[in-house]
Amino acid sequence: MTRERLNRMTPYMFFGPAAVIMVIALLYPLGYMVYGSFRDWDPSQNISETEFVGLKNYITLFFDPAFRESLSVTLIFAGSVVVVEMVVGVGLALLLDRDIKGMSVLRTLFILPMMIAPVVVGLMWRFMYHPTVGTFNRTLDWLGLEKVDWLGQHALLSVIIADVWQWTPFIFILALAALQSLPRSALEAARIDGATAWQQIVHIKLPLMMPVLIVTALLRLIDAFKVLEVILVMTEGGPGLSTEIVALRISRTATEFRELGVAAAMSNYLLILLLFLTLGMFAFTRWQEARADRIAAAAAKAPEV
Amino acid sequence: MKVTKIARSLGVTAAFALSATTALAGPYDDYAGTTLIVNFPAHPHYDAVMKILPEFTKETGIEVEVDQLPYLKMRERQTLELSQDEGEYDLIAYVVFSKADYVYADQLENLAKYFMNPKLADPAYDADDLIDGYVYNIGFAGGNKGYLEGKTGSLFGIPYGSETSILGYRKDIFEKHGLEVPKTYDELLELACKIPELEPGMGGVASRAASGHHASHAFLLHLAPLGGRVFDDAWNPIVNNEAGVQAANALKTLVDCGPEGAASFGFGEALGSFLNGDTAMFLDTTVVAGQIDDPKKSQVVGKVGWAMHPEGVRRGSQTGGFGIGIPANALNKEAAFLLMQWLTSREGDKLVALAGGNPSRFSTHDDADVNAKFPHMATFGEALKYADPDWRPIIPVWGKINADLGTTLSKVLTEDLDIQEALDGVAERTRAVMEEAGYYTWQ
Amino acid sequence: MHDKPSPAFYALLFTLIFMAVGPIALMFINSFKLDVDIVSGTGGLLFLPTIQNYETALCDVLWYEPDHIDFCSLKFGGAFVNSIIIALVSTMLTLIIGCMAAYALVRFRFMGRDVASLTTLMVRMVPPAVLLVPVFGLWNNEFCLDKDGLIGGLIRDAFGGRGDVCLAGTHAGIILVYIAMNLPFVIWILQSFIVQVPRSLEEAARVDGAGPFQVFFLVVLPLIKPGLAAAAIFTFRIAWNEYLLASALSDRNTKTVPILIVNNMSEFNVEWGVIMATGMLLAIPPIIFTLFASRQIITGMTAGAVKG
Repeated sequence: MTRERLNRMTPYMFFGPAAVIMVIALLYPLGYMVYGSFRDWDPSQNISETEFVGLKNYITLFFDPAFRESLSVTLIFAGSVVVVEMVVGVGLALLLDRDIKGMSVLRTLFILPMMIAPVVVGLMWRFMYHPTVGTFNRTLDWLGLEKVDWLGQHALLSVIIADVWQWTPFIFILALAALQSLPRSALEAARIDGATAWQQIVHIKLPLMMPVLIVTALLRLIDAFKVLEVILVMTEGGPGLSTEIVALRISRTATEFRELGVAAAMSNYLLILLLFLTLGMFAFTRWQEARADRIAAAAAKAPEV
Repeated sequence: MKVTKIARSLGVTAAFALSATTALAGPYDDYAGTTLIVNFPAHPHYDAVMKILPEFTKETGIEVEVDQLPYLKMRERQTLELSQDEGEYDLIAYVVFSKADYVYADQLENLAKYFMNPKLADPAYDADDLIDGYVYNIGFAGGNKGYLEGKTGSLFGIPYGSETSILGYRKDIFEKHGLEVPKTYDELLELACKIPELEPGMGGVASRAASGHHASHAFLLHLAPLGGRVFDDAWNPIVNNEAGVQAANALKTLVDCGPEGAASFGFGEALGSFLNGDTAMFLDTTVVAGQIDDPKKSQVVGKVGWAMHPEGVRRGSQTGGFGIGIPANALNKEAAFLLMQWLTSREGDKLVALAGGNPSRFSTHDDADVNAKFPHMATFGEALKYADPDWRPIIPVWGKINADLGTTLSKVLTEDLDIQEALDGVAERTRAVMEEAGYYTWQ
Repeated sequence: MHDKPSPAFYALLFTLIFMAVGPIALMFINSFKLDVDIVSGTGGLLFLPTIQNYETALCDVLWYEPDHIDFCSLKFGGAFVNSIIIALVSTMLTLIIGCMAAYALVRFRFMGRDVASLTTLMVRMVPPAVLLVPVFGLWNNEFCLDKDGLIGGLIRDAFGGRGDVCLAGTHAGIILVYIAMNLPFVIWILQSFIVQVPRSLEEAARVDGAGPFQVFFLVVLPLIKPGLAAAAIFTFRIAWNEYLLASALSDRNTKTVPILIVNNMSEFNVEWGVIMATGMLLAIPPIIFTLFASRQIITGMTAGAVKG
């Protein structure tokens, strides 16, 4: 009896601690944020002293050109880094898909940028982009070329380059893993049929890698919305609002403008956006699994007929 | 935490030993052994303060533990600490524009009761020697417009680490080309654009221009001398009038003729380019003087001359920097007052000036020792006479307006937004902010 | 597949390695230069290396007083200790709690399992910036013990400090957020490892009379070591590198290294040498991990992506 009871309790004992922590430090805060987003909330106030203002914060934000601009900066940033990183990462994986000794060294060194603190990445690039002291302009100068105003006129581009540097390896390694787990038989067959390297890539490798690539791209996209420190250290969102991504604007609204309610509403907008992306990813994997099951079922059936 | 306790008890014994030898009951005896927790900015003046604090502890037996933060970050921390029932800090240095917020939210102690207390107030303090402009700009609240000198105001803080603007120029470059030090804005702008022609690769004036606070600050620096203001007397935004456009144009000219990448310069970069010899002039706060003479940081040691902030339609150099005040929720208010008084006293002010800080007293600017060590001090003292306490409004909503002004101006500088249009936009949004804050209630 | 790589292939390989490591090497070199050398840019490698920047950074833990600094403004040593405490404790707790939860999700059917599983997956996408406002508010104002209360009073007596005892400003407060932030990822990644553990092993152990916890700790855990290693590295990486939440929650005694670095990029004084030295010190632990455990990292990454 007690033994049985204990057995029934087991899963809860295993999952309990995680549930408690996630509820206290993740779900409750999120609820608190939603609650706060309907209030006029100053950092020096306790939330119980704040005034309920309905949807005011959301409406203000919706018509706020600064917020809209930072939203579009975020979308441009996330979109371009994912596209560039996918193209470069997958391209490199296709080029370098060979069994040689150098590969493991490359892979090890390649993950370094991802593992280093974003704050440090930011400061390294800020130094390299420096208009007079920085590595890039020094090199350009040395080559007798015109200097570039990296963090001024081309701030968004510069920030994108830094992110591409840091995260292309992620795509590269996943794409490489996907490539190396492709069924050898299909590739052999193609080669025997006399397909060129290019044809192999377009007609066999890419389609077979596609499921993994799409998941990778979505993962990267979700992560691209989380980027903050690199940009904070490099440009602090400037010049103008040209690199002020939403995450940065949330933090500025909360600390500099002292409008916690508005910052909460902004966080909510961002959260909703990410929710859609995550749901998209789920839907895709479910669909993918279902399709795989159908194909497997069909394959299993085939010999009987 | 245990360590502090031990330190505290050690402090007590040390103080005990001290009082035993001196035998005379001094004003500090009651507080010896107290540990004050103070919040100072990471700023050259306060770096100098750090060097003289051991002196205070030696003299009084009061320990001081300093939490040094970047000044924009400091405000965030203070907002939190000041709103608690019991705050962490006994004494804070605040940026001048935080004055409005803190006083309005009743978070700073009115200093009257401390200066009235005979046990605390030092009769030799000589408050008249404090520079008037700074006292009203930084320490005073409740006077005219709420933030200026006036009969209804009173004192909440004492200026400490206060600055005004000044023009630094490269004597060697000016001599080489036979240039005159600019006295007016027209001369300044013309010269700023002439330098890159005379000295290829060198910028005219190093100015800050980075998005946000920096761009706004640089603009306001020109606004006052060119005859402009952010608000008229009825709080109507007039930043978009002719003087405003002129000031924005001046900023744009300086940035365009400035060193490479000037549009993204924060204060550090602007100063860096001057220290590195990439620009011929520097127009900003006096706080930089110490670094320009430091061979570890500067390549222009001994080559820099100082002159007054050029005149537009009037003289109006900035008033800024920091004040120190006692939080209303502090634990050791009286000891904090003693520290504040000690730091801003004649002796303290001189000590910090000699350590490379910015003095806040007339006497320190005239002091022979200080002038011997820092020959520029006399020019700085002269500049103070024209310091304009109203060059920027210090009202609670300023933070938001400042950010908007700063990002909009940054767009003007980098994206070639039309100046008039940009400033009209700022004025319109500012009006909305002011309206919401209730500044037009009486109209 | 095994055709002879051409010289162009190796050239590409070297370019890539150079691009990946170049900026880090640059930082490493610059951290041994004086500011004057960095700014004037005299010769890339021709300079007199100095450890002065590291001395400035570590002045609070050095046993001697370097003569080039007047007073110790950077408390890097203290921040480093804070970072280590926070990163290690949160990594350990996340792993223990996370692998238990993952085990429950994989091996048991229980009421609420689907909800739990789905929620875990969903909260993975929450960015730290979204947590900033609520965590700041809660940790400072709500998750507090009254200083006159029993436990709060005891804590104040024992540790000193002022005001109510709140989570903000303590190591525990930051650790709690980090655990919560990392749990979904850890649970997610470990599930794919636990699935691969053969059930028969667990059943054999159970037949021998082992309770569920014994089965878990003695049979399952040793088998998923590679997964644990990967999860540990990723958790550590986030806890070690995070800036935003730590900066909102820490006070002067609990600052971590990233905060110190951002603060030190103070606008009055861009001291590149010292900044590079602090950056280097912050980067060293992750670099060491990468060099020694790159295979685990890659396993972890691929496991994460393939099992969407």
